[in-house]
Amino acid sequence: MEQGEMGWATRLPNPLRSLRRRRGTRLASAIAAATLVGVTGLSTAPPASASTVNITWWTMWSGQTLQLLHQMIGQFEKTHPGITVTEENIPSVATTSTAKLLSTIAAGDPPDIFTEWWPEIGSFAANGDIVPMNQFLTGKYSGFEKWMWPIAAQGGTYNHKLYAVPMSMNSWALYYNKAMLKAAGIKSPPKTLAQLDADSAKEWIIKHGKLVQMGFYPGNYFLFFAPEFGATNCITSAGKYDYATCKAAQTEMNWLASFNKYPYGQIQALITAEGSVAGGQTDPFVAGKEGFVFSGPWEGAQNVPVANPKMEGNFGVVPFPGTVPVPSTIGQGNYNIIPKGAAHPKQAFEFISWLAGYGNQNFTASIDPKGGWVPAGPSVTKAPAYQAWLKANPWLHGFLPEMSSPYSAAPELTPTQSQLFNAMDTAADNVLQKIMTPEQALKYIDQQGNS
Amino acid sequence: MTTETTTIETMFAGGRMAQRVPPRSSRAADRRRARVGLLFISPWLIGFFAFFVYPFLATLYYSFTNFGGVGAAKWVGLANYEALFRDPLFKTSVFNTFYYTAIELPVATASALGLALLLNMNVKGRAIYRTIFYIPSIVPLVASSLIFVWMFNPVSGIVNDLLSGLHIPGPEWFFSITWSKPSFILLGLWGLGQPMVIYLAGLQGVPKDMYEVANLDGAGPWQRLRYVTLPMISPVILFNVILQLVACISYFTQAQVIEGTDIGGPGTSTWFYVQYLYEQAFQFLKFGYSSAMAFLLFVVSAAIMVVLFKSSSRWIYYASEQQ
Repeated sequence: MEQGEMGWATRLPNPLRSLRRRRGTRLASAIAAATLVGVTGLSTAPPASASTVNITWWTMWSGQTLQLLHQMIGQFEKTHPGITVTEENIPSVATTSTAKLLSTIAAGDPPDIFTEWWPEIGSFAANGDIVPMNQFLTGKYSGFEKWMWPIAAQGGTYNHKLYAVPMSMNSWALYYNKAMLKAAGIKSPPKTLAQLDADSAKEWIIKHGKLVQMGFYPGNYFLFFAPEFGATNCITSAGKYDYATCKAAQTEMNWLASFNKYPYGQIQALITAEGSVAGGQTDPFVAGKEGFVFSGPWEGAQNVPVANPKMEGNFGVVPFPGTVPVPSTIGQGNYNIIPKGAAHPKQAFEFISWLAGYGNQNFTASIDPKGGWVPAGPSVTKAPAYQAWLKANPWLHGFLPEMSSPYSAAPELTPTQSQLFNAMDTAADNVLQKIMTPEQALKYIDQQGNS
Repeated sequence: MTTETTTIETMFAGGRMAQRVPPRSSRAADRRRARVGLLFISPWLIGFFAFFVYPFLATLYYSFTNFGGVGAAKWVGLANYEALFRDPLFKTSVFNTFYYTAIELPVATASALGLALLLNMNVKGRAIYRTIFYIPSIVPLVASSLIFVWMFNPVSGIVNDLLSGLHIPGPEWFFSITWSKPSFILLGLWGLGQPMVIYLAGLQGVPKDMYEVANLDGAGPWQRLRYVTLPMISPVILFNVILQLVACISYFTQAQVIEGTDIGGPGTSTWFYVQYLYEQAFQFLKFGYSSAMAFLLFVVSAAIMVVLFKSSSRWIYYASEQQ
């Protein structure tokens, strides 16, 4: 019975050895089984009520916006007794939400709804990762597409099929700081690009080599300024991106290049320093350190009251004076999509259309102002709650005509849309830092977008 | 009894094992033991096959396909590899990663070793100094990255304020194409506590009598370092160099946090290889292309490790082998 090099198992009397073996085998099997369960995530989920359908909704928001979403869910569940909604917050930092979504689609267990800003909708649709919603556009939903703003529907359409529906839209205009305008001796906000450049130049202040105050600076927003120059969709008849020979794109990129006289590094540093992560007030405009900013209704409706209430009443909004007649904006919003393999696509669409405000104008009209959102369809703006908000905040009026303007445009959804947008940011950045000429930048956009 | 004897003989028979076939019952017992053994290590085996072998083989396969992450992959042969060499951003990411590694690795190694040598000296309050130098390495990467951006902000950061107090114009650090990579290298030095502690442990393992002999032979401080300390801790240096090298080649978290929405910026000056690989997969849904990048990274890393290990016999001193 001594323990030797062979170990004790071989020296035990047979019955005991057998017992040891069985115990060992069972223990090992239990460990293996436990590991398998851990690895595969097998577990028992609580059974859902047979009469109630639970849909899962992956969102990317936190804080005040998340509270609004919960209010919306509460109202939906109250008015739709057969459906409950489970909201799950999936942060969109560094595309982690996309990675998680694809993993669940591959595993056959995706959420019913996923909220997406839209860079990936084209690739998702092309890869078959999401389902078209046209199958649901019957009966009471047959007029749904036309109910939306044209650019809202356009922004969710790929290959003539509706793949994404916005919960709300973002429209963009030019904010100006009234006090800074007055201090610079400017009587009224600019109506042309040349005026904007001239007015803005008076507002820049650099003291002891440090940037203290900014005028207007476009940043790398080539994509967002594109409608103002008529350069949103520079695509050939063969479906290839062609920004290099597109006159409107050339004009826009040359205009961006004219800002390379300003200190890029210091501007980015000031923007970062004023960012909420650094304990600042969201952005330099809200902090009262930027004369003009190109932004959406959330800037005045959400950022200013929360971060710097002193700015309330000290700003105005005008359409951005591009080269096309005003007003215009890019068709961009908070789009909802239904992943392939979603368990309850029909109920998911019901919730998505409700979130957009379809048949739900009054409630949506009470929520959108809290988020600083433009609704997905014009009828919501006519509801009493929205009208009251507009009346209380006259500066908001500038954002609505843009939605139905013929000069507004949504980027055409394509499989390489995400790459195109990235390339636009990089190209604009390079132009602002004199690393690329406008011509090189436009060629770079084409090369990346077409690869 | 016969069974046990036969088994023992079999085990110790070495080369004769093939000629001496154990009885049937013994073979059955061996199989049972092997089965139990395998079941016991199965958690590790499952993890190894599920999270290493399968992904590795899948990555290799997908690198020859056009794959969007979900659905069927389309075989494209070497097209992804060919496309890599035509992609200017790929070349930029290779250059940026090489630049970072080529500077960060020697600077971090020398700094950590230097600190460890200083902290190995018999000075008052040594334990406190060691703690102070180690603390930064336990700060989470995301937190330390954000602190760095804040401290090095050219408009509002403390570093440029201090520099301007010395009448030195501070650079734009992370916001400048020229200074962005050096800024990341500086950030890398922030976490030196980990290798420093390992060097310190290595230094304390050097026998004191070797220094006494060196002193008797008239060796000065530099000679003691050159001919006693460094050879004696050379296995520790190799270990740390390998860890640092892997960290440099796969540089990701700090860059992703600091760059925020301007990934790779300013310009393309901080596009690191793994960031580009990640973006290709999870933003552009080009899993085939990113798999080719991943496999190429594996091949290059493996090649570097092979060179490092092959050459180690020339510069690594293992005391046990010499005895």
